[in-house]
Amino acid sequence: MDLVVLGGIVALFFGLSQITSEWRHPLNDTAPIDLSLSALPKYALFSFARGWIAYFFSFVFTVFVASWAFYDPRAHRYILPALDILQSIPVLGFLPGLTLTLVALFPHSNAGLELACVLAIFTGQVWNMVFSYYDSLRGTPGDFRMLGKLYNLNWWQRFWRLELPFGAQGLLYNSMVSMAAGWFFLSVCEAPPPINGVSLRVPGLGSYIQAATDSGDTRAKIFGMIAMGIVIIVVDRLIWWPLVVWSRKFKLDDFGGSRAPRNPIQLWLARSLAVQAIGTAWNALANKILGPAIPPSAATSLVEPGAPLPERSRVGRTVYAVFVWALIGLLTWGCYSLVALLRSVKLGDWEEIIADTGFSFLRVLAAVLIGTIWTVPLGVWIGLNPKLSNRLQPFIQFAASFPSPMLYPWLVAVILFVHGTLQTGAVLLILFGTQWYILFNVAASAAAIPNDIISCAAILRLSGWTRWSKFLIPAILPGLVTGWITAAGGAWNATIVSEIVQIGSTTYKATGLGAYITNASNANNFSKLTAAVIVMAVVVVAINRVLWKRLQNLANDRCRFMT
Amino acid sequence: METSSPKPLIELKHVSHEYFVTQSENDLVLSDINLTVSEHETVVLLGPSGCGKSTLERIMAGLITPTRGEVYYKGKLLIGVSPGVSMVFQNFALFPWLTVRGNVLLPVGHLPAEEQQARLEKVLQTVGLGAYEYAYPRELSGGMKQRVGIARALIAEPEVLAMDEPFSALDVLTAETLRNEIGRLLADPNHPLRTMVMVTHNIVEAVYFATRIVVMASGPGRIDVIVPNSLPYPRDTDHPEFKKIVEQLHGILTHTTMPDTVPADTNKVVTTTTPDNRRRIAPVSLPYVNAAEVLGLMSLIGDEPQDLFDLAEKFGKEFGAVVRIVKAAELLGFVQTPGQDVQVTQLGRDLTNASTVDQKRIVREQLMKLKIFELLVRLIRVQENQCLPSEELIRELQAALPHEKPRPLFRTLLSWGRYAEIISLDQRRHVIRLYEAKGAGRTRLAAPLLPPAAPPAPPTDSPAPPPVPTEPSPSPGELPKS
Repeated sequence: MDLVVLGGIVALFFGLSQITSEWRHPLNDTAPIDLSLSALPKYALFSFARGWIAYFFSFVFTVFVASWAFYDPRAHRYILPALDILQSIPVLGFLPGLTLTLVALFPHSNAGLELACVLAIFTGQVWNMVFSYYDSLRGTPGDFRMLGKLYNLNWWQRFWRLELPFGAQGLLYNSMVSMAAGWFFLSVCEAPPPINGVSLRVPGLGSYIQAATDSGDTRAKIFGMIAMGIVIIVVDRLIWWPLVVWSRKFKLDDFGGSRAPRNPIQLWLARSLAVQAIGTAWNALANKILGPAIPPSAATSLVEPGAPLPERSRVGRTVYAVFVWALIGLLTWGCYSLVALLRSVKLGDWEEIIADTGFSFLRVLAAVLIGTIWTVPLGVWIGLNPKLSNRLQPFIQFAASFPSPMLYPWLVAVILFVHGTLQTGAVLLILFGTQWYILFNVAASAAAIPNDIISCAAILRLSGWTRWSKFLIPAILPGLVTGWITAAGGAWNATIVSEIVQIGSTTYKATGLGAYITNASNANNFSKLTAAVIVMAVVVVAINRVLWKRLQNLANDRCRFMT
Repeated sequence: METSSPKPLIELKHVSHEYFVTQSENDLVLSDINLTVSEHETVVLLGPSGCGKSTLERIMAGLITPTRGEVYYKGKLLIGVSPGVSMVFQNFALFPWLTVRGNVLLPVGHLPAEEQQARLEKVLQTVGLGAYEYAYPRELSGGMKQRVGIARALIAEPEVLAMDEPFSALDVLTAETLRNEIGRLLADPNHPLRTMVMVTHNIVEAVYFATRIVVMASGPGRIDVIVPNSLPYPRDTDHPEFKKIVEQLHGILTHTTMPDTVPADTNKVVTTTTPDNRRRIAPVSLPYVNAAEVLGLMSLIGDEPQDLFDLAEKFGKEFGAVVRIVKAAELLGFVQTPGQDVQVTQLGRDLTNASTVDQKRIVREQLMKLKIFELLVRLIRVQENQCLPSEELIRELQAALPHEKPRPLFRTLLSWGRYAEIISLDQRRHVIRLYEAKGAGRTRLAAPLLPPAAPPAPPTDSPAPPPVPTEPSPSPGELPKS
């Protein structure tokens, strides 16, 4: 059994060497994709690695930015709103520009393309993780912070011994959500819409399926999707699930985690000599790296009365000031060049953009509406049946994680079969990327309705419309709004890939902002592209502020069950 | 007891501390504290909740830097965390993911392994946790957890042990056992730990441990009296000398938290012509309790005068909490408090015997005599649409009572006002209105604003005319029966 653990490690190293060699590969605009089955594991590994590299950056960014916002009250006032805006910006709109820039930066290797891909995934993953970690930093109990001070933990020890453990559960949950979002971006960025007439590609599952679609190889298409499914399941079962079990020990209340289910696999893991050895070695290593906390001593915390107070080191402050000014400078320069770029956009273009925004807005609205209509009854039904919800939860999670662009060729075939056009059919494509969030959140909040309330509704014989309007809809409203926000954000992103779909040599188009963005990048018209992306970002942020945030406050204010 | 003159260990000089609330609003928790803790002393900080005793202890440990004043440790100025102080927390603060061993070893990680092991064994023996080395905190009972907390504090071999309400989170019996053990530790001349600072609100606990008892008063936190206690260890709680000190502290605390002079002032009507004036002559605040608590007190207290501390014991509540309820009852004229006794007044008896509707009426009449409710009603009346936004009330309260916390006061005011049907709050718009009863029997509440004809409470100074003219439309049902 220990061989399994060992084998995994060996495989990891082998994979790493493969990936690094791929990165050093000279620039290959359109990587040839081998459609044979035997090549699939390699592509799966590439995609898998991209997702995790991006996750690594997300993690580092999360810890850094959330700590910054927490410890610097001045920065805090700017960082949180900035993150909120960044979170609602449609990342995919920036993808073409980003790719071009990075490819230009590394003209002789694949690194630029790869980096663009990783960055796109990163921006899809990172925001909710930052918010979650920031919340847990704020929620760390005061006594424990005092304890950290009493033992004189330095920032590094404080992070490992105090902050990360307390944040572990929230961070883990959000990591799972982030990873799911990451797969969506991965599927798009590996084979982005053609830029400047050139299709740039990096080898991976996303580009494999795209290539299979282009060449009409149905068998490869199906197997590519199966491979993607396997990757998702493997990540869920072999990485997240053990981590979730493990993270229960960081639960602060004494009673919640005490009866953690001890199933055979866990026991086997706990007793496996190899795992034990790794654990011990890890602890020893961690202790060595972290070092012991040196308790405060007379030398550091006492001074003779009348003696001058020791001066704090200025190095840190200087570095910080330089960093902040560099950031401000960068922002100023960015704004300046943005304005310069936007000047060249003609009035007619603006009009077209606004009109297209209207079309896309209607599609997003329709997708959210349709998603709500069918998922709310289903979600409530699932949520109110604990057995069912336990059994179906993994499937819903899987559906939410599965990158919908991989399904587009099939969906387009369905649309053509019923003699539809992409003009209305794009709603279906958008729907497939977003409805799961609503279902997921509705089911979760229906499952969280207190039993007393359910009994009360039953005794009052609430039924039909009264039951829905007075009981169920208010009860699930906080979850529903969260689902809507996530779904609508995802829907705007999805317009970029679903309003213009290329299958084989045929391109199906719909009028909309997403198609406009894709066309602009295809024509290498950078100013039009920027204008369109900015309009989309503004629209999304405005809708968030005017509609979703208020709805969320209202729902949380009125419809939350006290626990 | 000490033969040579005791060496001062911790000295506080003119220490004040403010908590930052908003740009304009700071909360003064400690004001000009001067205190010395000497070697081989057990100093207990005693006082009602909110008097800043925990903050003071953390300042002594160097965990909080005071906004003003200096802290000296062994004659030197303290600029960081104190090198010789360990701390035990009320809620244990054990890391749930570390075993007992891991938790206890935290402060000594920098020592060589053998030394760690030796100290660990010794300290686990001391607190009786020898068999629990590899247990996780969640498997332990509250008493056992606090033993781990104490072991973790002792393993660093501190010169001063700071304890913040160490027995408050434990059940009565467990707390008693643990108290005895700590008492034995203090009595043991061979144990290196001889200096302790402890925060508590329990008087018996204070007398049990302390060589000096620092009684603190709140609003802002300050030292009221320091009571020396030279009884020999181990102490017997039934000893007459012990009881004498407890009695003495009862008297002091009653006087500190419930001065006999306060209630007399409250009925004084303050002329409030200009806003300036209003700010200078502040209305008296309401203690942060709700109507149900006062009504509960009234129905449980009985006719005989009762000792305040017996009441606290009887209700199983913290002394400070009971004082707040009694204070509120006194403010409303339902009880009197000669010394540390609580005596029901005639009005109080009427209240207990009244129907629910009449109870509300009595409370309403009494509330309307308070300046703060007068202020509230006036604020609503001057609004154009008779709707007072919540934030505006909070602002006004802050201006009128700068030493009170505006939000808790706001909530208290609201809870009483709504109970007594003086005001109603529209949570959808966050505005406060005067309460108007539905149906024919009642109209706008106006009667209590007029000086009532014959309420039992003594009418003090001449009531000033109501600042805002009111419609004289008291419905018959509203008039108090004499």
